[in-house]
Amino acid sequence: MKKIIELRDVSKAFDGETVLDHIDLDIYDNEFLTLLGPSGCGKTTTLRLIGGFETPDSGDVLFLGARINDTPPHKRSVNTVFQRYALFPHLNVFDNVAFPLREQRLPKTEIEEKVREMLALVKLTGFERRNVARLSGGQQQRVAIARALISRPRVLLLDEPLGALDLKLRKDMQQELKNIQKATGITFVFVTHDQEEALSTSDTIVVMAEGRIQQIGTPIDIYNEPENAFVADFIGESNIVDGVMRADYRVTFSGHTFACVDKGFQKNEPVDVVVRPEDVDIVPLERGMLRGVVTSVTFMGVHYEIIVDINGFKWMIQTTDFVDVDEEIGLYLEPDAIHIMKKSEYSGMFGDYSSFSMELDELSDAESEADE
Amino acid sequence: MSRAPRERRNARVARLSLAPYSVWAVLFIVVPLVFVAYYAFTDNSMRFTTENITKFFTATSTVLGEDGSQQVVRTYMVIFWRSLKLAVISTVICLLLGYPTAYIIARAAPRTQKTAITFIMIPMWMNFLIRTYAWMTILQDTGLLNHLLAALHLGQAHIIGTEAAVVIGMVYDYFPYMILPIYSVLAKMDTRLIEAAHDLGCNNVGVLRRVIFPLSLPGVVSGVTMVLIPSISTFYISQKLGNGKFFLIGDAIEGQYVANNLHFAAAIAFILMVILLIAMALMKRFTDSCVRGGV
Amino acid sequence: MKMKPAAKVYTALIFLFLFAPIAILLVFSFNGAKSLSVFSTVSLKWYRELFRDAETLNALKNTLILAVCASVLSTGMGTAAAVGINKLRKRYLRAALDTVTNIPMMNPDIITGISLMLMFVFVGQLFGMATSLSFWTMLIAHITFCLPYVILQVLPKLKQMDPSLPEAAMDLGCTPLRAFFRVEVPEILPGVITGLLMAFTLSLDDFVISYFTQGNGFQTLPIRIYNMTKKTVTPKMYALATLIFFAILALLLLTNLVDEDDSRRIRAARDARRGRRSHAHRPGSRRPLRIAVSLLVVAALAIGAIGFYGQRAQPLVLNVYNWGEYVSDGSDDSLDTIQAFEAWYKETYGVPVKVNYDTYASNEDMYAKLKSGAVSYDVVVPSDYMIARMASEDMLLPLNFDNIPNYRYIADSFKGLYYDAENRYTVPYTYGIVGVIYDANQVDEADADGWELLWNEAYAGRILQFNNSRDAMGTALYRARLDVNSTDRAVWDEALAALVAQHGLVKSYVMDEIFNMMESGEAAVAAYYAGDYFTMLDAEADSVDLRFYYPEPTNYFVDAMCIPAGCQNQELAEIFINYMLSEEPAIANAEYVYYASPNRLVYENEDYVNDMGEEAMKILYPNIEQFAELYNQYAYRNLDQETLDYVNSLWETLKIN
Repeated sequence: MKKIIELRDVSKAFDGETVLDHIDLDIYDNEFLTLLGPSGCGKTTTLRLIGGFETPDSGDVLFLGARINDTPPHKRSVNTVFQRYALFPHLNVFDNVAFPLREQRLPKTEIEEKVREMLALVKLTGFERRNVARLSGGQQQRVAIARALISRPRVLLLDEPLGALDLKLRKDMQQELKNIQKATGITFVFVTHDQEEALSTSDTIVVMAEGRIQQIGTPIDIYNEPENAFVADFIGESNIVDGVMRADYRVTFSGHTFACVDKGFQKNEPVDVVVRPEDVDIVPLERGMLRGVVTSVTFMGVHYEIIVDINGFKWMIQTTDFVDVDEEIGLYLEPDAIHIMKKSEYSGMFGDYSSFSMELDELSDAESEADE
Repeated sequence: MSRAPRERRNARVARLSLAPYSVWAVLFIVVPLVFVAYYAFTDNSMRFTTENITKFFTATSTVLGEDGSQQVVRTYMVIFWRSLKLAVISTVICLLLGYPTAYIIARAAPRTQKTAITFIMIPMWMNFLIRTYAWMTILQDTGLLNHLLAALHLGQAHIIGTEAAVVIGMVYDYFPYMILPIYSVLAKMDTRLIEAAHDLGCNNVGVLRRVIFPLSLPGVVSGVTMVLIPSISTFYISQKLGNGKFFLIGDAIEGQYVANNLHFAAAIAFILMVILLIAMALMKRFTDSCVRGGV
Repeated sequence: MKMKPAAKVYTALIFLFLFAPIAILLVFSFNGAKSLSVFSTVSLKWYRELFRDAETLNALKNTLILAVCASVLSTGMGTAAAVGINKLRKRYLRAALDTVTNIPMMNPDIITGISLMLMFVFVGQLFGMATSLSFWTMLIAHITFCLPYVILQVLPKLKQMDPSLPEAAMDLGCTPLRAFFRVEVPEILPGVITGLLMAFTLSLDDFVISYFTQGNGFQTLPIRIYNMTKKTVTPKMYALATLIFFAILALLLLTNLVDEDDSRRIRAARDARRGRRSHAHRPGSRRPLRIAVSLLVVAALAIGAIGFYGQRAQPLVLNVYNWGEYVSDGSDDSLDTIQAFEAWYKETYGVPVKVNYDTYASNEDMYAKLKSGAVSYDVVVPSDYMIARMASEDMLLPLNFDNIPNYRYIADSFKGLYYDAENRYTVPYTYGIVGVIYDANQVDEADADGWELLWNEAYAGRILQFNNSRDAMGTALYRARLDVNSTDRAVWDEALAALVAQHGLVKSYVMDEIFNMMESGEAAVAAYYAGDYFTMLDAEADSVDLRFYYPEPTNYFVDAMCIPAGCQNQELAEIFINYMLSEEPAIANAEYVYYASPNRLVYENEDYVNDMGEEAMKILYPNIEQFAELYNQYAYRNLDQETLDYVNSLWETLKIN
């Protein structure tokens, strides 16, 4: 596959505060790549560097191998769908979409044809003369996409484009974006802080935190093989506990030694152990590898989410079996339910559910994002 | 998150587009004020003196008091306080008349609002001197108003030549300056806030007092400023509607200018300017804390 | 929302208040008589006169040129500044700019005017310029006070705008500059247009700042109106105001439609955000209006440019500075003497000449402007005492009487008077005597004698006094038979005491207002210049019976044409003066101004004598043979600066009583 965009050792600081810290990133032709991370992680800045709205303090941005650090936005074959769409309020739908073509001074008939085609692609045929202020959020979104795609850029940058939509619409748009990407073959670089959105749409996910790339990989890799506690925690739910690698395929944590599928660590190396809540089986006490007391049970529809206190560490477990609060239960882990990670700066910061407030976290994330 | 490279480009654009204005502002706003100060503190041969300033505060005149006795008063203090008094009265009347007007307009149908505001502005386009002149025709003892009063058997009103006439002139001439800023704040006000206040148990008066008025304070402040400043310094209205019977500070400045006492005219202007700037700064501080404290 | 009835009534009253004066001037613009307080017959006379009055139309043109230039330039610069301020991130710079921007709004216009005038005059003197004030200084002043209003209109629009809009445009292929014009400008356009309109309005209506910064040959309407202060404000101005009113109405309604459209768009956006799907839309409805507004702006610019070009194309220019309403303006089919001069000159010399005819309200006003070097003129018409002062300060040039052969028609009584004993500087234009005017329907004939009438308590509240220190003090001094040119402070103190005693009886201190007040019977007694009595007589109300007499002693004055130092073309000025002495224009002026003429071609002309009538001739030309003697005894003389300052301070004292 052909590399379209390369970031080489790119750093960026605002007012002395490092926002991007020596980033290296390759973006390939025809892929749907997602920059995922909490607000302030540098994902929007990365996008703006590619779009040409920012220039790196050090390092290079390459486009098809050529350095484009100082190329202004209008000379880049990269277009952006802005966070709040940035539709031109003084132009109607047709004129908004035709904007780039008029800028290129294409003949009138060609413009009309292309705009018609593009509006059909985003399912807005018949809306040509509509004032953009009178469209619904989803329709505005489509206009923004159509406008950004019409001049056939090599890369489309999408800055949290679905943030303003409600859940249902959002799911539909995710699918639609994916379809449009397939249909056009244009590389999409998508910024989001929503891990589910990232998992369901992307070919490649780039997880970022604190101005650095934490992990690059397919959604499945990222979910199953997180490289550190941050990634494990940010993508999906995880119980992260301290463990010690006794030997290849053998790890001790929570006072019990388990069989696992990981190897290549030094003997008795301290490690982070990740166990996904859905991979824990509840078993009768006597069959349990671990035992603990249920401290809370929440009904989630398909399953229950229960918090279990195991030696003072709170685990989250998703199960379809009903258990009572204060009941003591046994837990069973298959070897492939256990994922071992090297210790990192994030060790010990995540994975304990003693003060479970994921929803609140996300809410405040979304708010701070909107404030930006 | 801040934005550095955009910042750099912005800074360049800002510098470029600001350059003409900045130069202009320094040359034609700041420097002229320095000249006022310079002339205020010099005499005819351009030597430094504080005489002009002290003259403003100390010059005295002997006038006939109410009871016919002779009294010594400080000439320019009397003029200044009278100007201030009339300006404040005019401003208060403008506010009392203008706020309800602005409120009514802001609550009207959008089309009505536009038309009403247009009509409020139209008198501003008629020449200010001519407008004031027309008031003479209305207010004089044999004028339209008195004809009307006579027709209604309401007696006679002697207005022209009194301070009341000057106040009417000021109120009339500067009325739109009060309405427009208040209106624009009221029109933009989020109606949900009013609904919320009602929801939280405020009656109409309460909403007006506790929500609408505090929120419209910025408009009120700029309205008050835009009326107070020109009324305190006018010299045409007092000449025409005051029947030339008393001086306001604007008359004093103009009089000194015409009498070729440029330096003393500059001194009066300088003192007036300093007083007004201090007053405005105080007012801004006061309303800032009000707006912050009130909401 | 529906208005409540109380609100309706209230709003109606407010609008009544706002439009009452406008209704007045609308009505009086159709008055047959030259009065703003007594309505005689319905007539279109003043509209006719207005379109014949080249000087007023010229002032209107100047006002428009200035307003267009000032508003366009301030809008351009102000918009750029707003863009810059909006992008500015350094807090202290922003604060500094905000403060500076607020200064012209926080400062009374009189201070802005004076401050600019002081600077211009200072700079002018520094570079030894003949005139420091000009069209350009006035333009600078207007731009300066318009700028903050433009900025304050545009800045909020920029702040409201989504900052990613220009970025989106650049992203889609626009250079930054094109992005500004294609995306930012349409977004802030409503603010820019409002700013432009505000600047235009402010510039159009400004009097105070213009008054202090006006230069030669470029007087605007407000200044012209203000300078009618010695004579009466003609109803022509009402006619003009009425026309402006309807023009403005049309313009505002047009721009209102633009705004209307704009507000509809904003409302629609708000609705959309709240999830309300709104009503049918009208595609592209904004375009024609935008075009209309642009056309308007272009047209205005064109007028400006043409006017400008027209002015600059004149090779020969004569700058004349005269009292307001002091030359025949062509009304009632008389001769417009300024235009006639231009035509005559072209015919005689084969080259066109342009007369810039500016006016002033008082001798002191004129003196202050000339003395400061703010302006320079080729011909001025001061009164005697001011001539003496100017001559003593080398502000006048000796005339070359070879160019003024018509000087021989000036009666000998008017030669060698004190202010120009050697007949070097002056050619008398008019002369007059101060007399007492009274309404016989209000005043007992028995009381109508001497100066005492002005102090007669029987007419308390109906007496008018001059609103200038010299003339007002004069009445008191003549009454007490004291020297009107005394340098003795005690004499002046006595005059003040008399005026203070009179203060309670005085209805009003007047200049031009006297006309309305006497014509309508508003006042009963006044002292004024003899000729003006006849102007009032022409317009007096049915219930009024004005009479006139001379008290003893009284003031005799001469206003004479002079050439001030700094004159650019003395020969042309002398030709102009000579022309003004020739029969036709001299008679036209004398009939228009109603003051006595020292020119034999006038007062010995049969038609003139018949036109004026017996009574007028008797009052205006009472004793021309003894004029010199009485004049030298009673006329005002130049006072030294110290005495002037003292008199001035006494005048202020009177005004704080």
